[in-house]
Parts: sequence; structure tokens; C-alpha cells
Amino acid sequence: MILSLEALSFVSHNRTILSNVTTVISDEALTCLVGANGAGKTTLLRALSGELSPASGTFLIDGTDASALSPKDIARYFSVIPQGIQPPPNFTVFELVALGRFPPYRALWWRLSDRDRESVQACLARCHVEQLSKRRVEELSGGEQQRAWLAFALVQEKRFLLLDETLDGLDVFAKQSFFKLLKELASEGKGILLTTHDLDLVTDFADKVLVLNDGRVSYEGPPVANLQDLLVPARA
Amino acid sequence: MRRVLLVMGVLILILVLGVLIGVALGPVKLEAHRLISAILLRGDTTAHVLVWDLRMPRVAAALLVGACLGGAGCLLQSSTRNPLGDPQLFGLGGGAAVVQALAMAGLLSIGTWGLFGLSVLVSLVGAGAIAFFASRQGLSPARLALIGVSISALAAAAATGILAGARVFSQQSLNFIGGSFVNLGWQDVLPALPFFGIGILLALPVLGNLNVLALGDRVAVNLGAEPNRTRVIAIASSGILGGAAVAVAGLVGFVGLLVPHLARLLIGHDTRAIFIVSIPLGAAITLYADQAARLLFMPSEIPVGLVTALLGAPLMIYVARRVL
Repeated sequence: MILSLEALSFVSHNRTILSNVTTVISDEALTCLVGANGAGKTTLLRALSGELSPASGTFLIDGTDASALSPKDIARYFSVIPQGIQPPPNFTVFELVALGRFPPYRALWWRLSDRDRESVQACLARCHVEQLSKRRVEELSGGEQQRAWLAFALVQEKRFLLLDETLDGLDVFAKQSFFKLLKELASEGKGILLTTHDLDLVTDFADKVLVLNDGRVSYEGPPVANLQDLLVPARA
Repeated sequence: MRRVLLVMGVLILILVLGVLIGVALGPVKLEAHRLISAILLRGDTTAHVLVWDLRMPRVAAALLVGACLGGAGCLLQSSTRNPLGDPQLFGLGGGAAVVQALAMAGLLSIGTWGLFGLSVLVSLVGAGAIAFFASRQGLSPARLALIGVSISALAAAAATGILAGARVFSQQSLNFIGGSFVNLGWQDVLPALPFFGIGILLALPVLGNLNVLALGDRVAVNLGAEPNRTRVIAIASSGILGGAAVAVAGLVGFVGLLVPHLARLLIGHDTRAIFIVSIPLGAAITLYADQAARLLFMPSEIPVGLVTALLGAPLMIYVARRVL
């Protein structure tokens, strides 16, 4: 499955945030979106997940024009972990991940089925947080919390994971191990789009890099050693 | 699910016991056989009047007001992701309080049903203000609560001013401001029932959405929920419930704030279960608080709001230390 963006633009308050973004993002790959603060990374993720409607351009999900789909239909393809996400107070890791199976629109009498429980357990194990399942999420370290959120994203069984600066605030070891896990998940078939500022790890692990400068794609391709040189500060 | 059923079972037993205390005890003693006969609609007229015309309406009022406040508190806390969500604290009851004060001062005479309708309507306006502020991204829970407290304080001041200006008997004013079930008859309680029903029925379809709203709007949308629509319906429902509660008993504090936290301690984080449990739990707390207000200093009484504050404040401090 591929996502095709053709001349996608987004304007907010008379300011162009994304301008003529054209690229292809495929599943079974870890794609890293890099750029300075304000370059438009988060806006691009929000446009992909159906939260924002582009001003112009086309966004195709496996050949289907996303503008013909409702936000709910678009959401079926993407699990989103927004930047700076906070866990709800007092939730255990299991409770948090189990919410990923929750269907809010037909939910008055809904309960976790055996299949749901198995899926939650499998995702907890896949993200190495199985032994933490009874701990409160806010008591965990930053790295463990991000793994719990990743399990929450995985349990939804969607094709693409959109992770917005998920690694902020983690130490280098936690980041490395998180990137390794993402790489494994991508090789198992997930399409992962991660916004990040960790250029060294991007070089080591990413399958593909998109560099955004001032809302435009200035580089697209395999990771290169001089990624830092490709970035320019965003306009004030 | 088993835990929810267990808690509901225990709460029903507690409620039945509370109702029996409410109709059996009081300044006029009633022997057991006369009480049972009166409950079964047999026996002497005095016992019948005492049970069915004096004590039972008061018990029903306490149950209904507590249920309304418990449900409204749960809806406000979950829809605004704010642990301080409470119909009084968020100012939903403030407008209804002004309406009631105008009626007590003789400045508004539109009949009981009209008064209930107007109280709920004004409460819905307050709910609209809270929904507006709650929909603004980046507004912290504390700021939302401060806006609510300001609206509430303003409304309470206006209600007090109206009562003082009209020289309403001070005990009556005190009962209203502190919340009270004194001298309530069926005609004061029954008009609240349809609003209670509407408020609850309105909330049921959005409980599932409220469950995922705890994760933030962006993730909730990604799971298929509709945060804005959910928030509007939940807050409107709490406005209806909060307005009906004020129209019956005045400003009973702490119940809406405390009950959802206690429910959460009892049965976990599922908003659907918290809402279902908050209704009988609010009813039980309010009923027992009213019995304490009625019986502790017999034959005189204290406002029920005083008891809910005395019970609620330390419990709330405990809850705050434990879960907030």
C-alpha cells in the first residue's frame, strides 16, 4: 500500500505551511520526516491523518483520493501518536493499550473480547512492556511510556503509524532501542512515518528520509551522512 | 463487569436502607408496625401522611438531586478532561440559582413546571459557556475551573442580593444557598423527573466517545470518536441535570465533584461504568447527608450542603492526594 502526495499545499491564517509537497510513502518502510521547528512536519502528519484538509493538491491512499473519504474512513489507515501526548491519569499500561481496541461509535455495551485481549498482550510483548502491564503509565520512564504508546498504536491494527516527535526527551540508549523496534515493525509490514530531530539515528535506521524546509520537500531519498547540511532554519 | 454489578448491588442495598431510615426516623416516632402498614398504603392516616406526604417526598428529592449531581459531575469531568468538573463549581447551577431566587423573592411567578423549565434553560446557557471555553485548545483544567468558579460566585452573589433585597426570611435563604430538602412535597420533586430522564438518555449514546476523550482530541478522532459533538452533548446533559438539581434543592455542593472520583476508585477508568455507578452513588451520598442534616440536631435542622461540605471536603482532600 502506498500514500501518494501530489502538489499538496496547506495554508493557515494566510501563511503557507506546506507548499507543493509531492512524495510517495510506502508501507513496510520506516520513513523519517526531518526539518527545523516550524518547517511543517506536524502539519503534514495532520494532513495525512485526515485532521486537516489541504488547500490544494491530491492525496491518494492506495490510489483512492482521500478527499472523497470521511475523516473516519481516513483514520482506518492510520494510528496517530501526537507530539507531547500525556497518558490519562492513573491508567495502567494494559488499560491504555486496551483502549486502542475500543470502538467509540458502538460502545455502550462493548467489552474486550478474548481476541482483543490476545491482541493487547501480543502488542505489549512486541513493544517489550508486557511485564509493565499493571503499572501506571505515568510512573514509567520516558522510554517505557513511548513503548506503551507504540503498543497502543499497534493494537489498532492499522497499516500506517504516524509518530510525531515521539522520541523527544529520551536518552540516547532509549532512542536507539526505539528506532530498532520501529525498524523491525517496518520490516514486518507497517508503514511508519516518524518526525524527529535525531539525525544520526535517522541515518542509521531510516529506509527513507524526507527533508522539509519551509513547507517544501528539499530532499527525498535514502538517508545520507550530511543531513544536517540539508536543513535550513524556518522563517520567523 | 462483575465488579460493577457488585458495586451496584451494594449501592442498591445502601439506598434501600437509607430510604427506610428516611421514612422511619424523625421528631415524630413511628412504631415498626405502623411504619410497615403506612409503606404498604394501609394503616392510620397520621402514619400515612407522615410517611407518604412528609418524609417520602424528601427522600425522593434527595435521591433525585444526588443522582442528577453524580451524573452531571461524571459527564463534566470526562468531557472536559478536568478532575475539578462539577455542576456547581463550573457555574452550571448559578443561572438556575438566580431563577430560583427571583421566584422566592416573588419577582417571577411562572408555576412550578415553568420554573423548572426556566432553571434548566438558564443552566443550559451556563453549559454552553463551559462548552465554548472547553473547546478552546490549550485551556488548562485549572483555568476552566476558575472561569466556572467566577460564574458561580457571580450567580451566587446575584441570588443572595435578590433574596436580601426582597427581605426573604433568612432561614429560607440559608436553606437555598446551602442546599436543603426541608418542606419539599411531591409537587417540588416530580417536575425534576422528566429532566433527569432526558439528561440521562441524552448522555447514554456518547459515553463510549467520552471513554476515548481521555486520550486527547487528536487520538480520540483517530479512534473514530467525535470530540466536539460528544463534548456538546455531554455538557448539555450535565446542564439539564444540574439545573434540575438546583431547582429542587438549591446549591448542594461537593456531590458532583466528589462522586465521580469515588466511583473511579471503586470501579476503575471506564467512563461508561463510572457514569452508571455515579448515579446511585450520588443518590446515596445525598440521601445520607440529608438524613444527617435532619436527624443530628433534631428537632432543628442544618442545610444539607453543610453536611456534604463537611463530608466532602476531607474526602476530596483524600481523593486529591490519592488520584489527582
